[in-house]
Amino acid sequence: MPESNSEQTILRYRRRQRIIHAVMAGSFLILLFTGLALVWSPLAFIAAGGWSRYLHRIAAIGFMSVPILYIVLDRPGAKEIVTESFKYDSDDVAWFKSFYRYVFGRTANMPPQGRLNAGQKLHHSAVIIFSASIVATGIVMWVFKSSLSATALSWTAMVHDLSMLALALLLVGHVYFTYVYKAWSSMATGYVPKEDMELEHSKWVEELEHESMKSPST
Amino acid sequence: MASAFLLDMSRCIGCEACVVACKAGNELPTGRQYIELIEQTSGTFPNLTGGFRNHRCYHCADATCVAVCPTGALFKEDGLTRLDRDACSGCGYCVQSCPYGVPKMSDGRSSKCDACASNVGAGGSPWCVTTCPGKALEYGDRDEILAEANKRVAALKDRYPKAQVYGETQASGLGLILVLPDDAETLNIPADPPPTPEVATLWKDWVQPLSMGSTAVAVAGLGVLGVIARKNHLAEVKEIEGKQEASVSSGSAEGGHNDA
Repeated sequence: MPESNSEQTILRYRRRQRIIHAVMAGSFLILLFTGLALVWSPLAFIAAGGWSRYLHRIAAIGFMSVPILYIVLDRPGAKEIVTESFKYDSDDVAWFKSFYRYVFGRTANMPPQGRLNAGQKLHHSAVIIFSASIVATGIVMWVFKSSLSATALSWTAMVHDLSMLALALLLVGHVYFTYVYKAWSSMATGYVPKEDMELEHSKWVEELEHESMKSPST
Repeated sequence: MASAFLLDMSRCIGCEACVVACKAGNELPTGRQYIELIEQTSGTFPNLTGGFRNHRCYHCADATCVAVCPTGALFKEDGLTRLDRDACSGCGYCVQSCPYGVPKMSDGRSSKCDACASNVGAGGSPWCVTTCPGKALEYGDRDEILAEANKRVAALKDRYPKAQVYGETQASGLGLILVLPDDAETLNIPADPPPTPEVATLWKDWVQPLSMGSTAVAVAGLGVLGVIARKNHLAEVKEIEGKQEASVSSGSAEGGHNDA
Protein backbone atom coordinates (compact mmCIF):
# COMPACT_ATOMS: atom_id res chain seq x y z
CA MET A 1 0.00 0.00 0.00
CA PRO A 2 1.52 3.35 -0.99
CA GLU A 3 2.36 5.73 1.86
CA SER A 4 -0.22 8.48 2.13
CA ASN A 5 1.06 12.02 1.58
CA SER A 6 -0.83 13.19 4.63
CA GLU A 7 1.49 11.18 6.86
CA GLN A 8 4.57 12.95 5.52
CA THR A 9 5.85 16.10 7.18
CA ILE A 10 8.48 18.67 6.29
CA LEU A 11 10.63 20.66 8.71
CA ARG A 12 9.56 24.26 8.08
CA TYR A 13 11.12 26.11 11.03
CA ARG A 14 14.18 24.97 12.95
CA ARG A 15 14.22 24.98 16.77
CA ARG A 16 16.26 28.18 16.98
CA GLN A 17 13.94 29.96 14.58
CA ARG A 18 10.99 28.91 16.73
CA ILE A 19 12.71 30.22 19.87
CA ILE A 20 13.35 33.58 18.17
CA HIS A 21 9.73 33.70 17.00
CA ALA A 22 8.56 32.95 20.57
CA VAL A 23 10.72 35.77 21.99
CA MET A 24 9.37 38.19 19.40
CA ALA A 25 5.73 37.13 19.84
CA GLY A 26 5.92 37.15 23.65
CA SER A 27 7.63 40.53 23.91
CA PHE A 28 5.33 42.02 21.26
CA LEU A 29 2.16 40.93 23.06
CA ILE A 30 3.45 42.40 26.35
CA LEU A 31 4.34 45.63 24.53
CA LEU A 32 0.91 45.77 22.91
CA PHE A 33 -0.94 45.25 26.19
CA THR A 34 1.22 47.57 28.32
CA GLY A 35 1.21 50.18 25.54
CA LEU A 36 -2.57 50.00 25.32
CA ALA A 37 -2.74 50.62 29.08
CA LEU A 38 -0.97 53.95 28.52
CA VAL A 39 -3.46 55.26 25.99
CA TRP A 40 -6.79 53.58 26.81
CA SER A 41 -8.50 54.86 29.96
CA PRO A 42 -10.18 51.55 31.01
CA LEU A 43 -6.67 50.07 31.38
CA ALA A 44 -5.06 53.25 32.72
CA PHE A 45 -5.02 51.92 36.29
CA ILE A 46 -2.46 49.30 35.23
CA ALA A 47 -0.09 51.93 33.87
CA ALA A 48 -0.70 54.55 36.54
CA GLY A 49 0.98 52.49 39.24
CA GLY A 50 4.09 52.40 37.10
CA TRP A 51 4.75 48.65 36.96
CA SER A 52 3.35 48.18 33.47
CA ARG A 53 5.64 50.90 32.22
CA TYR A 54 8.65 49.00 33.61
CA LEU A 55 7.28 45.84 32.02
CA HIS A 56 6.94 47.77 28.74
CA ARG A 57 10.62 48.62 28.86
CA ILE A 58 11.71 45.10 29.80
CA ALA A 59 9.64 43.71 26.92
CA ALA A 60 11.12 46.39 24.64
CA ILE A 61 14.59 45.05 25.40
CA GLY A 62 13.35 41.56 24.47
CA PHE A 63 11.81 42.88 21.25
CA MET A 64 14.94 44.82 20.31
CA SER A 65 17.11 41.76 20.97
CA VAL A 66 15.31 39.74 18.24
CA PRO A 67 17.59 40.74 15.32
CA ILE A 68 20.66 40.22 17.52
CA LEU A 69 19.35 36.81 18.64
CA TYR A 70 18.67 35.90 15.03
CA ILE A 71 22.19 36.80 13.96
CA VAL A 72 23.76 34.98 16.93
CA LEU A 73 21.60 31.84 16.83
CA ASP A 74 20.86 31.49 13.13
CA ARG A 75 22.91 33.76 10.91
CA PRO A 76 22.03 32.00 7.61
CA GLY A 77 18.35 32.02 8.62
CA ALA A 78 18.48 35.74 9.37
CA LYS A 79 20.07 36.48 6.01
CA GLU A 80 17.59 34.22 4.24
CA ILE A 81 14.48 35.79 5.76
CA VAL A 82 15.63 39.36 5.03
CA THR A 83 16.68 38.70 1.44
CA GLU A 84 13.63 36.55 0.65
CA SER A 85 11.21 39.06 2.17
CA PHE A 86 12.30 41.89 -0.10
CA LYS A 87 12.54 39.85 -3.32
CA TYR A 88 9.42 39.33 -5.42
CA ASP A 89 9.11 37.43 -8.72
CA SER A 90 6.37 37.27 -11.37
CA ASP A 91 4.63 34.42 -9.49
CA ASP A 92 4.44 36.68 -6.44
CA VAL A 93 2.85 39.46 -8.47
CA ALA A 94 0.34 36.96 -9.90
CA TRP A 95 -0.28 35.65 -6.38
CA PHE A 96 -1.13 39.16 -5.15
CA LYS A 97 -3.64 39.48 -7.99
CA SER A 98 -5.43 36.39 -6.65
CA PHE A 99 -4.94 37.35 -3.02
CA TYR A 100 -8.67 37.65 -2.32
CA ARG A 101 -9.00 33.91 -3.00
CA TYR A 102 -6.29 33.17 -0.47
CA VAL A 103 -8.12 35.35 2.07
CA PHE A 104 -11.23 33.22 1.59
CA GLY A 105 -9.30 30.02 2.24
CA ARG A 106 -8.81 28.92 -1.34
CA THR A 107 -5.28 28.03 -2.41
CA ALA A 108 -5.95 25.65 -5.28
CA ASN A 109 -4.86 27.18 -8.61
CA MET A 110 -2.98 29.98 -6.89
CA PRO A 111 0.34 30.76 -8.62
CA PRO A 112 3.13 28.49 -7.30
CA GLN A 113 5.02 29.85 -4.31
CA GLY A 114 8.43 29.30 -2.75
CA ARG A 115 9.26 28.84 0.94
CA LEU A 116 7.48 32.12 1.68
CA ASN A 117 4.41 33.07 -0.25
CA ALA A 118 4.08 36.65 -1.49
CA GLY A 119 1.82 37.57 1.44
CA GLN A 120 4.33 36.24 3.94
CA LYS A 121 7.09 38.20 2.21
CA LEU A 122 5.04 41.37 2.45
CA HIS A 123 4.21 40.57 6.08
CA HIS A 124 7.88 40.05 6.96
CA SER A 125 9.09 43.15 5.14
CA ALA A 126 6.37 45.27 6.77
CA VAL A 127 7.22 43.82 10.19
CA ILE A 128 10.89 44.71 9.65
CA ILE A 129 10.09 48.28 8.57
CA PHE A 130 7.49 49.04 11.26
CA SER A 131 9.57 47.35 13.96
CA ALA A 132 12.44 49.65 13.04
CA SER A 133 10.22 52.74 13.28
CA ILE A 134 8.59 51.66 16.55
CA VAL A 135 11.97 50.88 18.10
CA ALA A 136 13.45 54.21 16.94
CA THR A 137 10.56 56.29 18.29
CA GLY A 138 10.38 54.18 21.44
CA ILE A 139 14.06 54.84 22.18
CA VAL A 140 13.54 58.57 21.60
CA MET A 141 10.64 58.63 24.10
CA TRP A 142 12.49 56.43 26.58
CA VAL A 143 15.77 58.34 26.58
CA PHE A 144 14.97 61.87 25.43
CA LYS A 145 11.35 62.41 26.56
CA SER A 146 12.22 65.07 29.11
CA SER A 147 13.98 67.20 26.51
CA LEU A 148 11.33 66.95 23.78
CA SER A 149 9.12 69.90 22.87
CA ALA A 150 5.34 69.39 22.70
CA THR A 151 5.61 69.23 18.90
CA ALA A 152 8.48 66.73 18.89
CA LEU A 153 6.76 64.61 21.53
CA SER A 154 3.51 64.57 19.55
CA TRP A 155 5.30 63.58 16.33
CA THR A 156 7.27 60.85 18.07
CA ALA A 157 4.23 59.46 19.89
CA MET A 158 2.15 59.59 16.70
CA VAL A 159 4.72 57.68 14.63
CA HIS A 160 5.06 55.20 17.52
CA ASP A 161 1.27 54.71 17.60
CA LEU A 162 0.99 54.40 13.82
CA SER A 163 3.78 51.82 13.77
CA MET A 164 1.97 49.88 16.47
CA LEU A 165 -1.26 50.13 14.51
CA ALA A 166 0.48 48.61 11.49
CA LEU A 167 2.09 45.86 13.57
CA ALA A 168 -1.18 45.11 15.38
CA LEU A 169 -3.03 44.79 12.05
CA LEU A 170 -0.24 42.58 10.74
CA LEU A 171 -0.60 40.44 13.86
CA VAL A 172 -4.35 40.13 13.33
CA GLY A 173 -3.73 39.02 9.73
CA HIS A 174 -0.97 36.65 10.88
CA VAL A 175 -3.26 34.97 13.42
CA TYR A 176 -6.04 34.84 10.83
CA PHE A 177 -4.00 32.98 8.22
CA THR A 178 -2.48 30.72 10.87
CA TYR A 179 -5.99 29.68 11.85
CA VAL A 180 -7.42 29.38 8.34
CA TYR A 181 -4.49 27.33 7.03
CA LYS A 182 -3.89 25.29 10.23
CA ALA A 183 -0.34 26.58 10.35
CA TRP A 184 0.13 26.45 14.12
CA SER A 185 2.30 23.32 13.98
CA SER A 186 4.96 25.15 11.96
CA MET A 187 5.89 27.18 15.04
CA ALA A 188 4.84 24.63 17.68
CA THR A 189 6.77 21.59 16.43
CA GLY A 190 8.46 23.04 13.36
CA TYR A 191 6.93 20.35 11.12
CA VAL A 192 4.09 20.79 8.66
CA PRO A 193 2.22 18.28 6.48
CA LYS A 194 3.93 17.88 3.12
CA GLU A 195 0.52 17.82 1.48
CA ASP A 196 -0.20 21.36 2.71
CA MET A 197 3.15 22.58 1.46
CA GLU A 198 2.54 21.05 -1.97
CA LEU A 199 -0.65 23.02 -2.14
CA GLU A 200 0.65 26.34 -0.79
CA HIS A 201 4.43 26.30 -1.42
CA SER A 202 4.89 23.96 -4.37
CA LYS A 203 8.08 25.64 -5.62
CA TRP A 204 9.66 25.16 -2.21
CA VAL A 205 8.72 21.44 -2.09
CA GLU A 206 10.20 20.98 -5.56
CA GLU A 207 13.34 22.74 -4.40
CA LEU A 208 13.62 20.46 -1.37
CA GLU A 209 13.09 17.36 -3.50
CA HIS A 210 15.67 18.59 -5.98
CA GLU A 211 18.15 19.14 -3.17
CA SER A 212 17.47 15.73 -1.64
CA MET A 213 18.03 14.14 -5.05
CA LYS A 214 21.35 15.95 -5.34
CA SER A 215 22.44 14.74 -1.88
CA PRO A 216 20.48 11.54 -1.21
CA SER A 217 22.54 10.77 1.92
CA THR A 218 20.99 13.72 3.74
CA MET B 1 -20.95 79.87 30.13
CA ALA B 2 -17.22 79.95 30.69
CA SER B 3 -15.96 80.41 34.23
CA ALA B 4 -12.64 81.89 35.25
CA PHE B 5 -10.44 82.86 38.19
CA LEU B 6 -9.12 86.32 38.79
CA LEU B 7 -5.66 86.48 40.31
CA ASP B 8 -4.64 90.01 41.16
CA MET B 9 -0.89 89.99 41.75
CA SER B 10 -0.99 93.59 42.96
CA ARG B 11 -3.06 92.43 45.91
CA CYS B 12 -1.46 89.03 46.54
CA ILE B 13 0.63 89.31 49.73
CA GLY B 14 2.14 85.83 49.48
CA CYS B 15 0.55 84.61 52.68
CA GLU B 16 0.06 81.13 51.20
CA ALA B 17 -3.44 80.86 52.67
CA CYS B 18 -4.61 79.72 49.22
CA VAL B 19 -1.92 77.03 49.15
CA VAL B 20 -3.00 75.69 52.54
CA ALA B 21 -6.75 75.97 51.84
CA CYS B 22 -6.31 74.16 48.52
CA LYS B 23 -4.32 71.36 50.12
CA ALA B 24 -6.70 71.00 53.05
CA GLY B 25 -9.92 71.44 51.10
CA ASN B 26 -8.94 68.98 48.38
CA GLU B 27 -7.40 66.64 50.98
CA LEU B 28 -4.14 66.46 49.08
CA PRO B 29 -1.52 64.12 50.53
CA THR B 30 1.95 65.23 51.61
CA GLY B 31 4.06 66.28 48.65
CA ARG B 32 1.12 67.10 46.41
CA GLN B 33 -0.19 70.61 45.87
CA TYR B 34 -1.95 72.53 43.14
CA ILE B 35 -0.69 76.00 44.02
CA GLU B 36 2.93 77.01 44.64
CA LEU B 37 4.41 80.35 45.55
CA ILE B 38 7.68 80.63 43.72
CA GLU B 39 10.09 83.38 44.72
CA GLN B 40 11.39 85.49 41.87
CA THR B 41 14.21 87.99 41.67
CA SER B 42 14.48 90.39 38.75
CA GLY B 43 16.99 93.04 37.70
CA THR B 44 20.77 93.05 38.11
CA PHE B 45 22.72 93.60 41.29
CA PRO B 46 22.48 95.96 43.12
CA ASN B 47 19.14 96.94 41.54
CA LEU B 48 17.25 93.79 42.40
CA THR B 49 13.55 93.44 42.90
CA GLY B 50 12.13 90.56 44.88
CA GLY B 51 8.74 89.06 44.31
CA PHE B 52 6.88 85.82 43.91
CA ARG B 53 4.74 84.02 41.40
CA ASN B 54 1.47 82.42 42.39
CA HIS B 55 1.97 79.33 40.25
CA ARG B 56 -1.12 77.30 39.37
CA CYS B 57 -3.03 76.01 36.36
CA TYR B 58 -3.79 78.70 33.80
CA HIS B 59 -6.78 76.77 32.38
CA CYS B 60 -5.87 77.56 28.75
CA ALA B 61 -8.71 77.47 26.22
CA ASP B 62 -6.18 76.04 23.77
CA ALA B 63 -4.85 73.54 26.30
CA THR B 64 -1.87 71.54 25.05
CA CYS B 65 -2.16 69.19 28.02
CA VAL B 66 -5.68 68.24 26.92
CA ALA B 67 -4.55 67.82 23.31
CA VAL B 68 -1.75 65.40 24.20
CA CYS B 69 -3.58 63.45 26.94
CA PRO B 70 -4.09 60.01 25.35
CA THR B 71 -6.73 58.74 27.78
CA GLY B 72 -8.92 61.84 27.97
CA ALA B 73 -8.17 62.23 31.68
CA LEU B 74 -7.62 65.94 31.02
CA PHE B 75 -10.59 67.68 29.47
CA LYS B 76 -12.24 71.06 29.12
CA GLU B 77 -15.43 71.95 30.97
CA ASP B 78 -16.96 75.39 31.58
CA GLY B 79 -13.81 76.95 30.14
CA LEU B 80 -11.68 75.24 32.77
CA THR B 81 -9.27 72.34 32.48
CA ARG B 82 -10.40 69.39 34.57
CA LEU B 83 -8.45 66.28 35.49
CA ASP B 84 -10.01 62.87 36.09
CA ARG B 85 -7.15 61.18 37.91
CA ASP B 86 -8.83 57.77 37.70
CA ALA B 87 -8.54 57.91 33.91
CA CYS B 88 -4.89 59.05 33.98
CA SER B 89 -2.31 56.46 32.90
CA GLY B 90 0.62 58.53 34.15
CA CYS B 91 2.22 58.86 30.70
CA GLY B 92 3.52 62.31 31.66
CA TYR B 93 2.84 63.87 28.25
CA CYS B 94 0.96 66.76 29.92
CA VAL B 95 3.90 67.43 32.23
CA GLN B 96 6.14 67.53 29.19
CA SER B 97 3.89 69.70 27.04
CA CYS B 98 2.41 72.40 29.30
CA PRO B 99 3.87 75.78 28.26
CA TYR B 100 3.54 76.96 31.87
CA GLY B 101 5.09 73.86 33.44
CA VAL B 102 2.05 73.26 35.65
CA PRO B 103 1.12 69.53 35.84
CA LYS B 104 3.31 67.39 38.09
CA MET B 105 3.43 63.65 38.56
CA SER B 106 2.21 62.40 41.91
CA ASP B 107 1.72 58.74 42.86
CA GLY B 108 2.17 57.76 39.22
CA ARG B 109 -0.54 60.07 37.92
CA SER B 110 -0.80 63.66 36.76
CA SER B 111 -1.69 66.25 39.36
CA LYS B 112 -3.00 69.76 38.83
CA CYS B 113 -5.77 72.16 39.86
CA ASP B 114 -9.18 71.10 38.58
CA ALA B 115 -10.82 74.34 39.78
CA CYS B 116 -12.42 72.49 42.73
CA ALA B 117 -14.88 70.81 40.37
CA SER B 118 -16.69 68.90 43.14
CA ASN B 119 -16.86 71.92 45.45
CA VAL B 120 -18.10 74.29 42.76
CA GLY B 121 -20.50 71.65 41.44
CA ALA B 122 -22.06 71.51 44.91
CA GLY B 123 -22.65 75.25 44.85
CA GLY B 124 -19.48 76.38 46.64
CA SER B 125 -16.42 78.32 45.52
CA PRO B 126 -12.87 77.13 44.92
CA TRP B 127 -11.04 76.78 48.26
CA CYS B 128 -8.32 79.25 47.36
CA VAL B 129 -10.86 81.97 46.51
CA THR B 130 -12.85 81.43 49.70
CA THR B 131 -9.73 81.78 51.82
CA CYS B 132 -7.83 84.66 50.19
CA PRO B 133 -7.65 87.48 52.79
CA GLY B 134 -6.56 90.20 50.32
CA LYS B 135 -9.34 89.68 47.76
CA ALA B 136 -6.60 88.88 45.27
CA LEU B 137 -8.61 85.87 44.11
CA GLU B 138 -12.10 85.89 42.63
CA TYR B 139 -14.07 83.28 40.73
CA GLY B 140 -17.05 83.65 38.43
CA ASP B 141 -18.27 84.23 34.91
CA ARG B 142 -15.28 84.87 32.65
CA ASP B 143 -16.70 88.04 31.08
CA GLU B 144 -17.38 89.53 34.51
CA ILE B 145 -13.92 88.47 35.73
CA LEU B 146 -12.35 90.14 32.68
CA ALA B 147 -14.32 93.33 33.31
CA GLU B 148 -13.18 93.33 36.94
CA ALA B 149 -9.56 92.73 35.88
CA ASN B 150 -9.66 95.66 33.45
CA LYS B 151 -11.15 97.88 36.14
CA ARG B 152 -8.39 96.95 38.57
CA VAL B 153 -5.67 97.51 35.98
CA ALA B 154 -7.09 100.95 35.17
CA ALA B 155 -6.89 101.79 38.87
CA LEU B 156 -3.29 100.59 39.03
CA LYS B 157 -1.95 102.48 36.02
CA ASP B 158 -0.92 105.60 37.98
CA ARG B 159 1.23 103.61 40.37
CA TYR B 160 2.26 100.82 37.98
CA PRO B 161 2.39 102.14 34.40
CA LYS B 162 3.09 98.65 33.04
CA ALA B 163 0.07 97.13 34.79
CA GLN B 164 -1.84 94.81 32.50
CA VAL B 165 -4.44 92.09 32.19
CA TYR B 166 -2.90 88.74 31.29
CA GLY B 167 -4.98 85.89 29.94
CA GLU B 168 -7.52 87.57 27.72
CA THR B 169 -5.90 86.31 24.53
CA GLN B 170 -3.02 84.08 25.61
CA ALA B 171 -3.51 80.40 24.67
CA SER B 172 -6.81 81.47 23.04
CA GLY B 173 -8.00 82.86 26.37
CA LEU B 174 -7.11 81.65 29.84
CA GLY B 175 -9.43 80.56 32.61
CA LEU B 176 -7.07 82.30 35.00
CA ILE B 177 -7.08 86.04 34.40
CA LEU B 178 -4.13 87.77 36.00
CA VAL B 179 -3.78 91.38 37.00
CA LEU B 180 -0.05 92.03 36.70
CA PRO B 181 1.64 95.22 37.93
CA ASP B 182 4.53 94.62 35.50
CA ASP B 183 5.39 92.71 32.34
CA ALA B 184 4.63 88.98 32.49
CA GLU B 185 8.28 88.09 31.86
CA THR B 186 9.33 89.68 35.16
CA LEU B 187 7.45 86.83 36.85
CA ASN B 188 8.83 84.27 34.38
CA ILE B 189 5.42 83.92 32.77
CA PRO B 190 5.63 83.60 28.96
CA ALA B 191 4.16 86.72 27.32
CA ASP B 192 2.73 84.59 24.53
CA PRO B 193 2.79 80.83 25.16
CA PRO B 194 3.14 78.65 22.06
CA PRO B 195 -0.13 77.30 20.64
CA THR B 196 -0.96 73.61 20.76
CA PRO B 197 0.95 71.92 17.93
CA GLU B 198 -1.36 70.82 15.12
CA VAL B 199 0.28 67.42 15.14
CA ALA B 200 -0.94 66.87 18.73
CA THR B 201 -4.53 67.36 17.58
CA LEU B 202 -3.97 65.13 14.58
CA TRP B 203 -2.53 62.41 16.82
CA LYS B 204 -5.19 62.62 19.51
CA ASP B 205 -8.32 63.26 17.41
CA TRP B 206 -7.52 61.16 14.34
CA VAL B 207 -4.66 58.71 14.74
CA GLN B 208 -5.68 57.31 18.14
CA PRO B 209 -9.35 56.67 17.32
CA LEU B 210 -8.31 55.29 13.91
CA SER B 211 -5.81 52.93 15.57
CA MET B 212 -8.26 51.60 18.14
CA GLY B 213 -11.19 51.48 15.70
CA SER B 214 -9.43 49.82 12.79
CA THR B 215 -7.83 47.19 15.04
CA ALA B 216 -11.20 46.39 16.62
CA VAL B 217 -12.86 46.21 13.18
CA ALA B 218 -10.05 43.99 11.86
CA VAL B 219 -10.36 41.60 14.81
CA ALA B 220 -14.15 41.40 14.54
CA GLY B 221 -14.21 41.20 10.73
CA LEU B 222 -11.48 38.63 10.36
CA GLY B 223 -12.88 36.69 13.32
CA VAL B 224 -16.09 36.09 11.38
CA LEU B 225 -14.38 35.70 8.02
CA GLY B 226 -11.90 33.25 9.56
CA VAL B 227 -14.63 30.73 10.29
CA ILE B 228 -15.86 30.90 6.69
CA ALA B 229 -12.38 30.84 5.17
CA ARG B 230 -11.29 27.87 7.26
CA LYS B 231 -14.37 25.93 6.20
CA ASN B 232 -13.56 26.78 2.56
CA HIS B 233 -9.99 25.64 3.00
CA LEU B 234 -10.93 22.36 4.69
CA ALA B 235 -13.47 21.67 1.96
CA GLU B 236 -10.87 22.44 -0.67
CA VAL B 237 -8.34 20.08 0.94
CA LYS B 238 -10.98 17.34 1.18
CA GLU B 239 -11.83 17.80 -2.49
CA ILE B 240 -8.19 17.58 -3.51
CA GLU B 241 -7.70 14.48 -1.35
CA GLY B 242 -10.79 12.93 -2.92
CA LYS B 243 -9.44 13.59 -6.40
CA GLN B 244 -6.04 12.16 -5.46
CA GLU B 245 -7.61 9.04 -3.99
CA ALA B 246 -9.75 8.63 -7.09
CA SER B 247 -6.73 9.00 -9.31
CA VAL B 248 -4.72 6.49 -7.19
CA SER B 249 -7.55 3.94 -7.29
CA SER B 250 -8.12 4.45 -11.04
CA GLY B 251 -4.34 4.07 -11.50
CA SER B 252 -4.43 0.80 -9.55
CA ALA B 253 -7.42 -0.38 -11.54
CA GLU B 254 -5.66 0.45 -14.79
CA GLY B 255 -2.53 -1.28 -13.50
CA GLY B 256 -4.61 -4.32 -12.55
CA HIS B 257 -6.18 -4.41 -15.99
CA ASN B 258 -2.80 -4.16 -17.69
CA ASP B 259 -1.42 -6.86 -15.46
CA ALA B 260 -4.28 -8.98 -16.37
